[in-house]
Amino acid sequence: MTKLTDPIRAGAWALAAGLLVAAAGPAMAQTAEPIKIGAVLCLTGPGAGLGQAERNGIQLAEEAINDAGGVGGRPIKVLIEDDGSKPDIAKQKAEGLIFNDKVVAVIGGSLTASTGAIAALTNAEEMAEVALTGLGPAVELTYKSLYHVLPPQSLNAKAMLEYTKANKLKKIGVLHDSGYGQLVFSNLKTMAASYGVEFVAVEKFEVGASDVSTQAAKVRAAEPEAVYVIATSPVPFRSARQVKITQPIISAIGSSAYDYVRGMGEFGDDIVFPEFLVGEDPEPQQKAFVELYKKTYGALPKNYEAAGWDAVNIVAQAIAKAGPNADRQAIAQAMRQPFKGVLANYDFSAADLTGIDLSSYVFSKLVKGQFTRLPFKVGS
Amino acid sequence: MTTTLFIQSLLAGLTNGFVYGLIGLGISVIFRGTRVVNAMQGDFALVAGIAACLALDWLGLPIAVGFLGGIIAGALVGWAVELLLIRPTQARGGSEDSLLLVTLGGAFAVSAAALLYFGRDSRSMPGFGGNRSLDVFDAAIRVHAVWLIAIAIVVVVALRLFYQRTPLGQSILAASIDPEGAATIGINVPRMRTLTFMLGGAVGGVAGVLVSPLITIHYEMGLLLTLKGFTAAIVGGLGNPFGAIMGGLLLGLVEAMAIVFVSSGYKDVIAMSLLILIMIAMPNGLLGRRGRVGG
Repeated sequence: MTKLTDPIRAGAWALAAGLLVAAAGPAMAQTAEPIKIGAVLCLTGPGAGLGQAERNGIQLAEEAINDAGGVGGRPIKVLIEDDGSKPDIAKQKAEGLIFNDKVVAVIGGSLTASTGAIAALTNAEEMAEVALTGLGPAVELTYKSLYHVLPPQSLNAKAMLEYTKANKLKKIGVLHDSGYGQLVFSNLKTMAASYGVEFVAVEKFEVGASDVSTQAAKVRAAEPEAVYVIATSPVPFRSARQVKITQPIISAIGSSAYDYVRGMGEFGDDIVFPEFLVGEDPEPQQKAFVELYKKTYGALPKNYEAAGWDAVNIVAQAIAKAGPNADRQAIAQAMRQPFKGVLANYDFSAADLTGIDLSSYVFSKLVKGQFTRLPFKVGS
Repeated sequence: MTTTLFIQSLLAGLTNGFVYGLIGLGISVIFRGTRVVNAMQGDFALVAGIAACLALDWLGLPIAVGFLGGIIAGALVGWAVELLLIRPTQARGGSEDSLLLVTLGGAFAVSAAALLYFGRDSRSMPGFGGNRSLDVFDAAIRVHAVWLIAIAIVVVVALRLFYQRTPLGQSILAASIDPEGAATIGINVPRMRTLTFMLGGAVGGVAGVLVSPLITIHYEMGLLLTLKGFTAAIVGGLGNPFGAIMGGLLLGLVEAMAIVFVSSGYKDVIAMSLLILIMIAMPNGLLGRRGRVGG
């Protein structure tokens, strides 16, 4: 990783503000025993697209915090493990981090199943798990130290519907995959009527499908005013445009990634995403992070990089509040407060232990393969 | 249902059918020449797609030359697989089961290597005719898809002639049907097996370079293609190249019609149920019996 430059370090200072005990100073932080934080991510397997992005954000935050003097005079050390996108491995890796490495909190998983597997352990230990997923199964609400840095799918669905309503679109066709797409669509279905939205065609395809042009043709035949395409693949976007769906496409945050856009090629046009970070045109509170990321990695960050960054800063803030030598339980409790992140404004004292609301969403549009931030905000 | 929708699904079914058929064709070629069921066929296509993509992106070669490079890469991988995996396994008395397992392991290894060196991104690749589409009663088919269908037909006819009319094609068949007998009349059996794998790799390469502009290249696409190709080859009659294309077309069209007439959620259930019925009624596949006449 490229060493951080001075102006950038200054930005990092601002972003990591409130976490750091400046009196201790960087020199002391270098020599003190590091505070160990665990992270279990999907670095390989189907969730690797999320995990690798999150790792970049985590490592950047770790370096920024340590360069700024650590937390309470102690540096932090994030121990990152790969669960191969498998929940059983996630549990094994979390066990190692919790019982052998004695980490004070765990960041992850990248996928809902991994989050649940880790939560069973952290909940028993009453230590914090900062999940890089949205609220999952109902059982997660019974856990008192599981915090989420991404919104629940119901909120993602609401954001899509808000944009649809604001643009006076009523007849919608849907093209979604059987994994992520199914999850978002089940939420859309329950809320559509209250937004005056009618689904005139709903077509599903399996995750990993290489061609969905017949499904897309069926959606087109229903003559919708706009089409929701929700999938973790560029294929349905290509298929939709190839069968001459010319209507606007509205997608979900999970499809908003540069690698999918590259896969869309010339078909990546007029597609709207409700998301949180548009690296090409960040909101004021996101600018320092985006600049730092760009300097370090030579690329623009998206949502999951910011989620990784926020997760480390959330843990660091809780440690700073509870004290650098506080036990795991105290750190978990200290986390239960509002936090202004890069990705969103959280309130971990909220009932869903996330506290993200629609005001954190930004809307981007893909124009000839480039993300552009739209002026639209929910409630504007 | 509108005419446009019906035609669109027919075009999609035909295109997908020829893709499945081309992969099945490679499986069939290798089975015919070596009696090895090759689970790496989709990965030959993956390697060819990557090679062509790099040739076009990095070297800026014309599309036809890039595609040719991909096909050569497919043939070279076929050669390497025979040399490094199949031959040593057979030399130690490996059964057909162990050879299948070896190629399955190879498929995962190729996919992992693609992830490591090519990355996890999906890459789009230009095809013949750019992104232009032809209008057929308001339905659309990419110009490249028409090329795919035409080339697939040429390949299957050429293979048929190769096996029937050329001494080399007949030597490959002889080496497969009766290796000892073939050796006694001077046929170099190991060389025939190597050539078979190279031929299978090249056919996989043709599939790879033709399908990549339509579906994007992704490190996991190999196994997915292999599964469809297997279905096509077995339904058509494993060992009969023409049958693989028939099987692929049947699978592609049934999938498309199931989406249009029933529901996309039941596409695989309907397609697979129909194929099970076909296999019960015709255990050797659509053209299996006829394909075995005369080898």
